[in-house]
Amino acid sequence: MMGNILVLAEHRQGSLREITFEMLAIAPQLSSDMGGEAVVLLIGSGVDEMAVKIASYGVKVLVIDDPLFEDFNGEKYQKVISAVIDDLKPSVVMTGHTAQGVDFMPPLAVEKRLPLVMEAIALEYTDGALKATRQLYSGKVNAIVAFKPADTYLVTIREGIAEAPEITTAGPVEKINTPLKEDLDYRKFVEYIEAEVGDVDITQSDILVAIGRGLKEDKNLPLIEELAKAVKADIAGSRAATDAGWISQDRQVGTSGKTVKPKLYIAMGISGAFQHVAGMKGAKTVVAINKDPEAPIFNVADYAIVEDMFKVVPKLTEKLKELKS
Amino acid sequence: MMRGMIMISETNSFTEKFDLLGCIQCGRCTGGCPVTVRADLNVRRFVYDAYNEEKLDELARLAEIWDCTTCNTCAVRCPKGLKPLEVLLALRSMVVESGKVEPTVRDALQSVLLEGNPWEKPRAIRCDWMDGLDVKMAEPGVPVENLFFVCCTIAYDPRLQIIARNMVRILNKLDLDYGFIGTDETCCGSEVRTLGEEGLFEMLIEDNTELLNSFEAKRIVAFSPHCFSVFNTYYPDLKSEVIHYTQLFDELVGENKIPWRGELQKKVVYHDPCYLGKLSGVYDEPRSVLQKIPGVELLEFDRCRERSLCCEGSGGKMWVESHSKKERLAETRIKDARALGADIVAVSCPFCLLTLEDALKGLGFEEEMRVAEIMELLGEVVEE
Repeated sequence: MMGNILVLAEHRQGSLREITFEMLAIAPQLSSDMGGEAVVLLIGSGVDEMAVKIASYGVKVLVIDDPLFEDFNGEKYQKVISAVIDDLKPSVVMTGHTAQGVDFMPPLAVEKRLPLVMEAIALEYTDGALKATRQLYSGKVNAIVAFKPADTYLVTIREGIAEAPEITTAGPVEKINTPLKEDLDYRKFVEYIEAEVGDVDITQSDILVAIGRGLKEDKNLPLIEELAKAVKADIAGSRAATDAGWISQDRQVGTSGKTVKPKLYIAMGISGAFQHVAGMKGAKTVVAINKDPEAPIFNVADYAIVEDMFKVVPKLTEKLKELKS
Repeated sequence: MMRGMIMISETNSFTEKFDLLGCIQCGRCTGGCPVTVRADLNVRRFVYDAYNEEKLDELARLAEIWDCTTCNTCAVRCPKGLKPLEVLLALRSMVVESGKVEPTVRDALQSVLLEGNPWEKPRAIRCDWMDGLDVKMAEPGVPVENLFFVCCTIAYDPRLQIIARNMVRILNKLDLDYGFIGTDETCCGSEVRTLGEEGLFEMLIEDNTELLNSFEAKRIVAFSPHCFSVFNTYYPDLKSEVIHYTQLFDELVGENKIPWRGELQKKVVYHDPCYLGKLSGVYDEPRSVLQKIPGVELLEFDRCRERSLCCEGSGGKMWVESHSKKERLAETRIKDARALGADIVAVSCPFCLLTLEDALKGLGFEEEMRVAEIMELLGEVVEE
């Protein structure tokens, strides 16, 4: 139908991925601008609960529930979405720019000869035309691109560009038959292999408190743990902190460790060697505590506290607890 | 049948490439390998096993192939003139080829491809270290006596930029024809090679040869032993002679051209960088420069020159962490220096500076000792 947006719900190992809800922050408004409505397509096996969850955001959910879709298979998704496009003729098909989305959207575009914009960070419908914003040159330039006129436009949306909307009156859930009747014999799901992570994956943390050589000895760790608890942060550190055994190796930040992009990075007793800074320069806000005013970490810090960390941290923790209570 | 034939030819290529059949399994390689004290690396075993082509995939999956620092001790000690470490690098290549490398390695290699340096820094800021300095730039087609090649790590790491800055200050004092390349300068590929990215390394050789030959340089002066060694070993078509900066300064101090302005009343021990020493045979020049600094008392490590202990900074180790929790070799080195009573551990390599300084701080000896690059020390005693 004209103006309708088909949003593909994404899930893995029984749980919906955040990108699904992020797209629900974009699709309903855009589809109403286009004179249609947003409809979510959920493909899976035994996904009733997920369907209800998605519908609670006030959208109509189409469910294809079949054992054939027990696990993700880009090839199967392509066939299903291809048939659904023929059937429903949506104006836009929207998926996440995720390992799943990038698997089947390009071949789908080729198969159906439809225009595709990958990794859009915004979409707008003005003067009767759909336009997408994409980033070029490692994010230095935003380009607004138009689509070649077509009945259906394909677009993959970058993760994390929107926040899930509020839950509202539940929309309807409708089951439809699978257009794919048989399993594929040439591309099969084998197994999930989880990346080796320790107890915590610091690359996914929103807030990190990072320790360096300035911690001096492990008996000072509880001080840091308390601060981390107060701000709901994970603990990371420099190579020196790993060497000293204060943190495990999978919490090491730097060129020989992890690259992290938290919203807040609190560096304590870290001098800020180039090799460490390289691993945390993506942090949105950096707070550095170091008693050496010449410490290079201050060159990348948004907030600099030149003081002994052992004086600052307890006060900081206390204040944070106060603010929360 | 076809498959069998291909397999035989593959076996031959690996075996022939590294002359595996020449190995007599004497074990001098592993016996001298400094990494064995902290990791499960047995390079002799790899030379033996790599002959079995069917085992290569399995060998490439072993974590210890990434523990090699490419210090070249095994090659120096091999009585048959083989290079056992090259077997490990070839196995790394297989891993890189399959795309299953650590993200840190992937990012470093991608950065070399896109920005010409492994530090994920934009090419545009490669010369930011020159800010406020009067630097003579070389121009293609214009003859220049000394064309300086600044290593990526020195160009970008704020801790190391002083090496290049001091160099320029001193050069401007001397009557010396020199020039720098500028932002076109691109990674020499030393770490790219040791991380196993053969294709990218070949591309760098081609591009850099063309770039460097476009300058009419009598000689190229490399800041880092890594660039120096790799240019001399893997760039057959370079028109200019390549020297390390300590060789240039050895000449200059020999000709009494250095205007000393002060003294350095310190006990200094020199740490031989593997790529300058064991790989290139340059042992005397850095020592001679240090000895000429007024006031310096030069000490020697027991493990020096051909037997020098590796700092573990090379062989791609800036991007790959060993899983060993045992003492880092750099810490052993600093402890040795302290036992000698040294005030300063002098180095002539950016990686050695980083690893040894880190070790010194880790051991808490900052108050009593320091690690310094020779150019840093020269900056303190030469008139500007």
